[in-house]
This record gives sequence, C-alpha cells and structure tokens, in this order.
Amino acid sequence: MRAPDGPLIVKGDVILAVENVSLAFGGVKALTDVTFDIQKGEIRAIIGPNGAGKTSMLNCINGFYHPSEGAILFKGERRPKMRPSAAARGGIARTFQNVALFKGMTTLDNIMAGRSLKMHRGLFWQALRAGPAMREEIAHRRVVEEIIDFLEIQAIRKVPVGKLPYGLQKRVELGRALAMEPEILLLDEPMAGMNLEEKEDMCRFILDVNSEFGTTVALIEHDMGVVMDLSDRVVVLEYGRKIADGTPAEVKRDERVIAAYLGQPHA
Amino acid sequence: MDILYKIAVDPFVQMAGAPDLLAQTVWEGRVSGVLYSLIALGFVLIFKASGVFNFAQGIMVVFAALTLVGLAEKGVPAYLAHLLTLAVMLLLAIGIERVVLRPLVNQPDIILFMATFGLTYLLIGFGELVFGGSPKQMITTELGLPRGSVDLPILGGLVSLQKIDIAAAVIASVAVAALAVFFQRTRIGRALRAVADSHKAALSVGISLNQIWVVVWFTAGIVALATGIMWGARSEVSFALEVIALKALPVLILGGLTSVPGAIVGGLIIGVGEKLGELYWGPLVGGGIESWLAYIIALAVLMIRPQGLFGEKIIERI
Amino acid sequence: MLQADAQEKVAGSLHDPAADTLPKLLVRNAALRPARPAFRHKHLGIWQSWTWAEVADEVRALAAGLAARGVGRGVKIAIVGQNRPRLYWAMAASQWLGAVPVPVYAESVADEMAYVLDHAEVTHAVVEDQEQVDKLLSVGERLGRITALLYDEPRGLRAYDDPRLESLAQVAAAGRDRLGRNPEAAAALDEALAAGRGSDLSVILYTSGTTGRPKGVMLTFDNVIRAGEIGCAFDKLDETDEIIAYLPIAWVGDHIFSYAQAIIAGLCVSCPESPDTVVEDRREIGPTYIFAPPRVFENILTLTTVRMEDASALKRRLYRYFLDHARRVGEPILNGERVGLLDRVVYALGDALVYAPLRSRFGLSRVKVGYTAGEAIGPEIFRFYRSIGINLKQLYGQTEASVYVTMQPDGEIRADTVGRPAPQVEIRLDPSGEVLYRSPGVFAGYYKDDAKTAETKTADGFVRSGDAGFLDTTGHLKIIDRAKDVGRLSDGSLFPPKYVENKLKFYPNIKEAVAFGDGRDCVACFVNIDLVAVGSWAERSNVTYGSYQELAADPRVAAIIREHVDEVNRSLAAEPRMGGAQIRRFLILHKELDADDGELTRTQKVRRGFIAERYAPLIAALFDGSREADIRTEVTFEDGRKGVIAARLAVHDMEPHPVAAAPELEIAA
Repeated sequence: MRAPDGPLIVKGDVILAVENVSLAFGGVKALTDVTFDIQKGEIRAIIGPNGAGKTSMLNCINGFYHPSEGAILFKGERRPKMRPSAAARGGIARTFQNVALFKGMTTLDNIMAGRSLKMHRGLFWQALRAGPAMREEIAHRRVVEEIIDFLEIQAIRKVPVGKLPYGLQKRVELGRALAMEPEILLLDEPMAGMNLEEKEDMCRFILDVNSEFGTTVALIEHDMGVVMDLSDRVVVLEYGRKIADGTPAEVKRDERVIAAYLGQPHA
Repeated sequence: MDILYKIAVDPFVQMAGAPDLLAQTVWEGRVSGVLYSLIALGFVLIFKASGVFNFAQGIMVVFAALTLVGLAEKGVPAYLAHLLTLAVMLLLAIGIERVVLRPLVNQPDIILFMATFGLTYLLIGFGELVFGGSPKQMITTELGLPRGSVDLPILGGLVSLQKIDIAAAVIASVAVAALAVFFQRTRIGRALRAVADSHKAALSVGISLNQIWVVVWFTAGIVALATGIMWGARSEVSFALEVIALKALPVLILGGLTSVPGAIVGGLIIGVGEKLGELYWGPLVGGGIESWLAYIIALAVLMIRPQGLFGEKIIERI
Repeated sequence: MLQADAQEKVAGSLHDPAADTLPKLLVRNAALRPARPAFRHKHLGIWQSWTWAEVADEVRALAAGLAARGVGRGVKIAIVGQNRPRLYWAMAASQWLGAVPVPVYAESVADEMAYVLDHAEVTHAVVEDQEQVDKLLSVGERLGRITALLYDEPRGLRAYDDPRLESLAQVAAAGRDRLGRNPEAAAALDEALAAGRGSDLSVILYTSGTTGRPKGVMLTFDNVIRAGEIGCAFDKLDETDEIIAYLPIAWVGDHIFSYAQAIIAGLCVSCPESPDTVVEDRREIGPTYIFAPPRVFENILTLTTVRMEDASALKRRLYRYFLDHARRVGEPILNGERVGLLDRVVYALGDALVYAPLRSRFGLSRVKVGYTAGEAIGPEIFRFYRSIGINLKQLYGQTEASVYVTMQPDGEIRADTVGRPAPQVEIRLDPSGEVLYRSPGVFAGYYKDDAKTAETKTADGFVRSGDAGFLDTTGHLKIIDRAKDVGRLSDGSLFPPKYVENKLKFYPNIKEAVAFGDGRDCVACFVNIDLVAVGSWAERSNVTYGSYQELAADPRVAAIIREHVDEVNRSLAAEPRMGGAQIRRFLILHKELDADDGELTRTQKVRRGFIAERYAPLIAALFDGSREADIRTEVTFEDGRKGVIAARLAVHDMEPHPVAAAPELEIAA
C-alpha cells in the first residue's frame, strides 16, 4: 500500500485551523485575531451580521487574501502565502456569494473545468482526443456525469450557464466545486436569492455531499433556520471578531450573539 | 446624377468588364487581409485571456521578424534562428507576466493598457539597439519559403499569384485551425476559455492565472512571428511595419474584440474591401483611399452593430 | 357490431391463451425475441439498454428475492416513483409471485400516499429514492403493516438505520444467489409463475376522483391483456416500436401503454433521464408511438412559439407562411384527401423547410400514431400537430375500462369527437345522456368498496362513465360534460352548460360565457367580450370607445356577438340531442368577470353559483322577456379600492334553428 500524502486525518480531527488571524486593507481591519478550527467531516457554519468579515475569512482560507497576522494551518501544515491554485491543489474548493461561473461555457464544460487539476495528459494527446488522453477524458466525464446526476441537472447539461436562472447557476457552481473532489468545501451563502423549494434542494445536496463523500463543509449563510438545521458547529463573527463558537444550540443561547443579531432582524 | 452613376453603377460595370482584374484585386486584398487577421488574432487572444488591450501586438510582429533576421545576419542558420526567436518570444512572455502583469494585477484596465504602450517603446528601443534601425530583407529562401509566381488563366485573363502569398494563406489557415483545436480540445484551452470568462472562478478551481498568461502571451508571440515572416517576405523588415500593424485596429472593431472568427472575417473584409475601394472608387477622389478606407468600413459597421460583427458585448475596456 | 367482430379476429390472432399473465408473456418474450431491446434508461448521460432476455432474468432474480422477503400470492406491494426500469420490473416480479402491485403517484403528498397504502393494505413498498423513503417514514405509525421498504436509488440512504430498508439491487442479488444455490427455490418460482391465471387480480390503480378519497380500481390480467391487445391490434404495434415512458406509473395510461402493451407486443420502453429531460430524451429516442395528455402538446407548442419570437425575421416569416399553408392543406393531405398539385408542392417545400425540422425538434419524426387523452384538447392545437404531418388522434378512456372506450380510426379524425367505440367495446347512452360501456377491459370492482362498485357497474356488465355525451350522425362519440353537471330544460331536453359555453368561447371575440337553463324553459346566457380581440376590431373599424363598458354596450359589437351566437345555435341544432339547448336570449355583461370579484376561480373557471346570485336581476330579465335590465355591481379596482358600477343592459332575442332529426343508429351502438 502506498503511504498517503501528508498526515492521515480521520473524522473528527482538525483539518483546518485558523490561528489568531487578522486581515487589514490599508487602515481598515476586516478581521481581528480570529481563531477557530474545522474538523474533518463536519458541517461548520460561519455566521454574523453584514460586514462581519465572513467572506474575508473564506478568502483567507482559499488563498485569495493573505492574513496580515496569524496563520492558517491546513492539514497541520502552515502555509503563510498560499496561492488560490495551491489551495485548490491541496483540496480546498469553494463557491461564491454572487456566483462566479464561466458564463459562456455549458454546464458540462463548467464542471469539467473543475477537473482541470486532475488532468495530466500531454497537450498532443489532448488535441488529438486519442490514446491516453481519450481514456482520461472519458474517466473525468464519468465523474462529472455522476455529479450532474447527483445534483439533478441533467436537463441543463448542454446549456450555457449564462442563460440559466440564478438558483440553477448556484447548483452548477456547487457541481464545479464538487468536481475537484475537495477535502473542504467552502460555500459562500449557497442559498442566497433562492426560493423555498430551491433552498430545500440545496440543503439536501449539502447534507448528501457531507454524508456520502465525507466532505468537510464550511459555509456562510444568512438564513438562521438553515444554519441551525445543517451545521454541526457554528462560529459567529461580528465586526471582524469572533464572538461565539459552539453547537447551534449553544450559539443560539449566547447573549452576545442575541445582541449582535437584534439589530439585524433580517439575518 | 453623374456622381451617383460613378459611385453606384460605373465600378460594377468595370468589374463585369474585366473580371480577371477583379479576381486579381480580390486575391491581393485577401492576402493582406490574412495578415491583418493574424495580427488581430494576437490582440484577441490576449484580450480574451487577460482583458488587456495589447497595444504592443503590432510591434511584437516587427520585433519577432527583426530578431529572426537579425540572428540570421549574425550567421545563425535559418532554422536555428527560428527556434531561437521562438525562445526569445517565450522569454518575452514570461518577462511580461513577471514584470508587467503580475505587479499590476487588479489594477484598472487603462493602467494595463498604458503598460503595453510602455512595452511598445521598450521593444522598439531594444530592437534598434541590438539589430540597428535599417530595414532588412526577410530570409525567405533560407526558411524554405517559395518565391516567384504562378499565372492562372482565369475568366479570360491571367491572374498572377505570388507563391509566397499562397504559402501565407496556407500557413495562416493551419495556424488558425491549430489554435481552434488548442482552444476547444485541450485542458489548457479549456482553462484559457475559463480564464477569459471569469478570473475569480478560474482561480478557485486551481487554474493558475500566471501560467495561463505566459501561455497566452507566448501564443500571441508565435502568431506574431508567423505574421512577421509573411509580411517581411512581401516588403522588408523595419519598424515602418508598425504602422501597417495598426490596421488591425479597424479589423478588431469590425470583428469584435473577443471573437476569433471575428478577427479572421474582419481581416478579410478589410483587406479585400480596401483593395477594391482603391481600384474602383479611389479615382473618384483622386486615389490614395487605401490608407483610411479601413476605418470608414469599420465605422460604418459600428453604426449598425456597436459590438462588432461577432462581438459578445459592447466594448467598454478601451 | 360487425366491425368489432372483425377486429376481434385480429386481436385473437395475437392472443396466446397459454400466456395469460404478464409475467408469462415476459418469459415468452425472452424466448421469442431474446436479443431485442426491451427497456432503455438514460443514466449518467448515456442510454443503457436491456434485452428481453436480460429483463426476464432480472425480473426472475427480483422475484426470488421478493419471495424470500415474504411476497407471495395476495400480497399488496406499493410501487412509488418516476418511470424507471427497475420499478416496472418490480411490478412484474410481484405479479410473477401472484402479488398485486399498487402503483402510487410519486408526487402525492405523504398524507395522500398514506391513505392509499393503508387502504390497499400494502405490506411491501418499492420506492425510487430517498425522497419517497422520507415520505413513507414520515407517516410511519400509520403504516405499521409495512415490513419491507425497498429502494432503487441508494444515494443519501446510507445513514438510515430502519431495518426494513434495503436496495432493490441487493434484493435481486440475493434472489439470484438463492436461485443458484437452491434448486427448490427455482422450482418454487417456476410454480408460482405457472399458478398465475388470467382471472387473477393484476393491479390496483387508484384514481384521484374529483370528490372524495381515491378509489382502488381492480384490474385482472384478462382486463389488462385483452385491453392491451385491442390497442396493439388497432395500431399494429410490434417489437420494432418504441415508446417513451414519462407519465405517472400510477396512471392507467402509462400502465397499459408503457407496461402492458410493451410486454404484449414486445416493444421497447425508454425511461427518461429525469422528469426535466423528457423533451431532449424524446428527441434522442424518436418514439414511434406516443401517448400524452393535451397539456404536453400545449407545452411543446408554446415553447416553439416562444422560441420563434426570438428567431430571425426571415425564419419567422417562413414559419408563419408555411404554417398557414399547412393549416389549409396539411390535414387533408394526411387524411389522404384530394389536394391540388400546387398546394402539394408548396406543402412538400414546407415539409423540408419547416415541418420536418419541427417534428424532429419535438422528437416526433418517427411517430406513426400519437394519442391525446385525459381531457379535451384545444382544436387549434390538435389541428396544428396534424397539419404538420403528425398522426395525432384522440381517444376516450377510463381507468375502469383499462383505457379503451372510443378511438379514432384513420381517416375519421376530427378535433371535436373522441372517435368510434374501440374494437370489442359496446357503448350505450342512458336517457340522462350518460355514457355507459362494456368491454373485455372492464374492471373487476373497486377495492373494498362494493357499494361504489354496484353503483358504477350495471347488472349486465356495463360501466357508468360519469360523463355525458352523445353519438353524432357519423357514429362518433362526443363528450359534452360531466354527467352530474348536465341539466335539463323544463321540456326535458338536455342542457350541458360547459358544452354550450365552450362552443361560444371558441370565438376569439368571446372571452367568457355563462349559460343558464337548468329547470327553465330555454337556455340563456351572459357573454363577456374579449377586450383585445374586439378592441382591435374597433380600431380597424374606427369605432371609438372609452372603456370596456362602453365597448360592450356598442350595438355594433352586439351584432357581432349575435352572429356568433347564431352560428353556435346552428351547430347545436345539427345535433339532434343538443338542439334543445340553443341559446334563445343573451346579454353582454358590462364588466369582465374577475377572480378578484370572486366571479372566477384563481384558475379562471367560472363560478356559476356565485354569478347567478350576484347577477340575479339580470338572470330574471333573461327569463322574463324584458328588453332591458338594470344592474348595480360592486367592483374591486386594481389598486384594491371598491366602487360601484351601474349599467342598463340590452337583452337580445335569438331565433332558433330547426333541429335535425335523430338518426336511427344511436341505440344500435
């Protein structure tokens, strides 16, 4: 048997640790001394009122931003200036608050793009669509088709995603992230702008991803009902600082959380 | 009425009267059209992948041709010189990515546009410094490109085709086909399209922008070299070519900034259009309209389709 | 019925007395055409297919597995989900063992599903996926009888710990294993198959009645097979035919068309990838035989129309021109009538440019016959499909008849009738106008509801359809309304309100009509003009108007409506039984009937009772002979304010047309 790359992490171990992270843009502090961890196999929610620094936190985790202070440890490794492509190679996939898809490409191509890192065959074979590249393409296409089946988006396989309604675009984006076979899936408001039925579907997909593939999920969400139903543990940010961390029930009782949310009736 | 006749009827009578002349003119127009297309193609590649309007594309053509000829003059065998030139273009691409694009990432487009201006003068200065400012002859024979011409009896007359022009057309077609395959079928091609569509999304799936930029600029460099050889073979290699490279601008306007087919069709329309215009309508205003007709054609198209013939959206970057 | 006898011979030749159950026929197929494709299912973007030999093998394995889990004679087994091969196979496997499948609508909410499962005394359930499992588990306590819950799609079910859960694949694998190791089990399985009889109960289909709880229609193998044979013979179906199964498996149409007839004729059934991909999948498969309720045809046409709006001007022009041409000559050509040479040439050109691409876009290129049933199809839509060369027909059927009651033979296809009695079907009309039928497909009874059965089935084996209708002069059945909605005038003649109203609404100028007459001397009605259609007429004819009320009161408008009413009367008079329902008086309402005012339901259906109450003075005027009537009505404006409008409306008298004499053949049918 081949030894696994890096340390072996089992369910319940810390897969990602955020240690005293601060982030500043010029003089503005987006995050101040935030510390929390994400355990393998859990669904971890990051919540907080608008402007609490939730998206900044995700951007730090997947290498879009680099913390000005503190560190992020992924699978026990400290990577001070991890670039997004390195984060992706390491097994961190994400979706965006406002959907960032390749709008001119079809659903299929978008999800195939999620396989970019997994394709290795030379340009020559790829161009000819023959030999090993053909076999590789077929293998990847199969994985992608399974994702399409999983997300029930067969009907839009060949539709350019720019033409799809918002709810479906979010689903395709999730599909693209899944195609990376990530260890951690970062979801930035996966249910924003969806109707009730779409939300229910999305919840089901997230739970299924978590239970079927054992994927660790970290998500930002505004719908408190969703957060309480889905997540194992919740971390609460306010003005860039952590104000609470615990199970949904614990967090819901926390006075600081209640205070923070009183001024935010919609959240 | 007379002027109307001269504009709307007479040219067509002439065309019908001497179809061989017409065929010859269309062919000539087509040949320069192919070259316009190639230059425009370089623009489009870079614009699509990095959103940079590369003002230096014209000069890259000259620079590539100059390097090739310059190396040959220094006694380097033709094929080796060719390979070395490619290596220089790769270095150039890497250099641009490191020195220009990476530090300027997330800056407004206009900053990047200005940077390519700087690049233009840098390349001119550098080229003149190393290879001197005097015009040079393209090493056509050494590269194995054909010379002379074939005369075809067509429509009751003789149409003369330069063999180098035929070669240019063939090479250009092969280049375009190769690019299409590269874009549509390869992983990097898919990544290129992805980057062209959304930088953020491309980053998140692990596509390295830096790598893609090098690939794109290098590809544009290869296209520039091919263009430079063809063009140099028809006239001579000097920085005067730069002016002609600017013809790519109306081609881009015509075809749309982001469309590869647009660049090709636009180039052909402009090439053929200006030759026909010069011959049949030019005498009406005393000739010499070839130099500005392209812009008129492009403007006319803009009035009807602001996004160009194949453009995806209204141009807002420049 | 001479024709029926002839047809019976054809059907008889197809009938194989030894194979009197569907599982037996399935085994026969495996021997007769082992390598022909039987089922297809698109999965992961690829069409997978199974031959008859493979299907028979799967069903056998599944039956062995089910037997080990307690399925046997008389057991009721629920089948819940979309059209998937394994669900159909589970149905066959249960029938193999003498158990009775009870297909259930996948969309039904948990409570409805619980009612059916409880009423049918289901002990085993075969479901599609997690969604259905969740639904069943959510009503757990009400379904204490269920001992096994088998699913097709394992996704999401890994973490469930209910001991009754097991995947169909596991059941089949266990069954195959058992058959391999245990020859006795194999012998028992063969015996179970042989023990099946044609008179056995084959399926219970629950019909969603408009009122009350659903009723379980019990069909025997004889019912299903004989009815299936009628259809196969009528349309000459064989093993080369293709059908796509996308309608609810609990619906009798799907059960007969995509299950029974597939097994009888050996044709190939394709299951779509998902409910959303049916259009695409249909295009890929190119079925030769299709069956759909009118809304499916409406949707396809609407999609096309919308798409054409976005097409280039040239394409739009071509589309319109050739569709207009098809409207004139397409149907006659399809019916084999005489059509001029020039028209034929233009039609052929249109076929190349428009009709063939449309048919291929709809996935209907290879269709030899398509049926629409379930409810009345709009004549425009029906003609559209026929005019572009698709052999679309109507049929009238019911669950209680195993579908077939009447069908349209080739060359006798009309938009306004549902055809002649199907082969081996007898039709009788009772004096109230209700349609009764008797056929080999007639059901055994309602499950656990003898009172209802007795009410529906007559002593001599006829079934009350609940629909009122009549046979027209050509012997075609016309369905006019639900029997309970048909009223009578004081002289005893029939008054089907919806039938009369629909005839009026057929005119674009008339938006809505409400007919009154039950228990009265004659029929009278309210008419709502269509503001768009009449408004555009007004514009063309330089008629100025300030409001709906003003336009509705214009005498020239009244004259137009009068013509329409007269034409409706003429067509009513042409049908002996309907002649009495001619409209004698009408008035044009001063306001549009509106859901906001409670006059229409939210689905735009007329609320007759409410309208009668609200406009009582107008109704009085209609029947007391006055020339004019005054009315004050409260209305709700767009912004929610209330207001009152008052109006004096003219009442118009109509001269009736002489009624055609009744034909003699009516009772003979």
